[in-house]
Amino acid sequence: MVSPLAIGLVEDNPGDARLIEEMLHAPPVEPFQISRSSRLDELLLRLKGESLSVLLLDLGLPDSQGLATFYRVHERAPQMPIIIFSGAIDEALAVDAVAHGAQDYLVKGHIDSVLLKRAIRYAIERKRAESQIQELNDALERRVLERTAQLEEANKELESFSYSVSHDLRAPLRHIQGYVEMLREATAGKLPEQAERYLTTITAASVKMGQLIDDLLAFSRMGRAEMAECRVPLDRLVQDTIRDLEMAINGRNVVWRVGSLPEVVGDPAMVRQVLANLAGNAVKYSRMRNPAQIEVGCAGEEDGRLILFVRDNGAGFDMQYAGKLFGVFQRLHRAEEFEGTGIGLATVRRIVSRHGGRVWAEGELDRGATFYFTLRSAQSLMQPAAT
Amino acid sequence: MSCLKRILLVEDSPQDAELTLHALAGSHLADDVIHLRDGAEALDYVYRRGRFADRPTGQPALVLLDLKMPKVDGIEVLRQVKSDPNLKTIPIVVMTSSREEGDLLRSYELGVNAYVVKPVRFQEFVEAVKQIGSFWAMVNEPPPGSLGGVTHASQLDRMQPGDA
Repeated sequence: MVSPLAIGLVEDNPGDARLIEEMLHAPPVEPFQISRSSRLDELLLRLKGESLSVLLLDLGLPDSQGLATFYRVHERAPQMPIIIFSGAIDEALAVDAVAHGAQDYLVKGHIDSVLLKRAIRYAIERKRAESQIQELNDALERRVLERTAQLEEANKELESFSYSVSHDLRAPLRHIQGYVEMLREATAGKLPEQAERYLTTITAASVKMGQLIDDLLAFSRMGRAEMAECRVPLDRLVQDTIRDLEMAINGRNVVWRVGSLPEVVGDPAMVRQVLANLAGNAVKYSRMRNPAQIEVGCAGEEDGRLILFVRDNGAGFDMQYAGKLFGVFQRLHRAEEFEGTGIGLATVRRIVSRHGGRVWAEGELDRGATFYFTLRSAQSLMQPAAT
Repeated sequence: MSCLKRILLVEDSPQDAELTLHALAGSHLADDVIHLRDGAEALDYVYRRGRFADRPTGQPALVLLDLKMPKVDGIEVLRQVKSDPNLKTIPIVVMTSSREEGDLLRSYELGVNAYVVKPVRFQEFVEAVKQIGSFWAMVNEPPPGSLGGVTHASQLDRMQPGDA
């Protein structure tokens, strides 16, 4: 047996009320339990003790008029479906109430039993669906908040990790170098040559470790730094980069070929870093060539992004190790051949992927290398979204 | 104990302290240093309380302050000293491994007189400590009430009876 639906009826006109009750009891008979109030305060008092499956509400009551009637009821029982009764003159008011959370409205004089019962069923179902959506939304909201909190926590941990790296790992290095120097001073001229060489190696190793720590820190900071994206004129950035490399070129014969380069969208400092690292590598790994040839250009488009490249005729690399190129502290050359810590290309990859692009490389041992990266063209800013 | 010295070194690492003293010895300032090992001791010293309750009056011409220390850290020392009307004139130079923006910002906001990142390379470290020591303990005119006004290392021996 179905449990009866508790229907609240708020109607001050006894004639109207009787009419509605008759419609509700008309066949086919359904298990309705009707409780009637003729004033708003009477209803509000009742709602303290009992909950109703649905409420049929006349907006014009002796103690409350218009939308205010609806608002006060809705505020008291937001989960209860409400159907508004209106006269033909104040239909607009009823429409307004629906816009603010009432389930439906019926115009007096235009109702029959079937219509009323159907409106009641629909109102209850709609309200149920509505509160389900609300529940799902709330759950989603809670989950987003949880995840955000977890992310913030992870970020804080990373922050304190890099702090402790910067602080705690540097101190022992300083001590190693300091005590080696004090040992040198204390034994000045008295140590055998071999022992002096050992001391030099200890110092060099700790200097190298200091460099690795600094690089790693810079790398991790760069991954978290805020990005300020704007239009970046690549050709000017490349000219700046070439000028900055003069020291490293050190009078060598380097022939630059710079193609026509478009404007891209990106964080200027980060894009500059990408160019500096790639062009810097090209200069470094072509040092045995005379002339060294370095080309910077644009090789077309991919998924609406520009493909940019830096090519050199230097030492190159074996393609079977290409996957290792962009890893942190991964190197394909021995330190005696080419100095470096192996952070440059990892930085390039991180910057480009933060911009939504990708990096890859092609090369051949002793025949040079080409490094590609993709960035959004500034032209994409001009085009309307839908074309 | 007679512990009125011109330089107060607050440093928890014995190695860093030894390296600092070694560097200051190059400027003949090593004997003019009292070395304390955490912020709590440093506060006891400047407030003349605890085991420093009986020390002679007067404040150091320079506090060399490490940031990361057990018990009370350098930032807290800085906060307390620089917010005390009677102590805030004491020159404080932070010497730390940290070049974190947060530490720099907080230190300057609290009124640090200088902030030096300890160089990892020994020669640079020695040079930095020497410069700081000679500037603040010899060139700079410290605030009234400090142990200062002595500009020649040769005068130090007469000024400082030394620890028993």
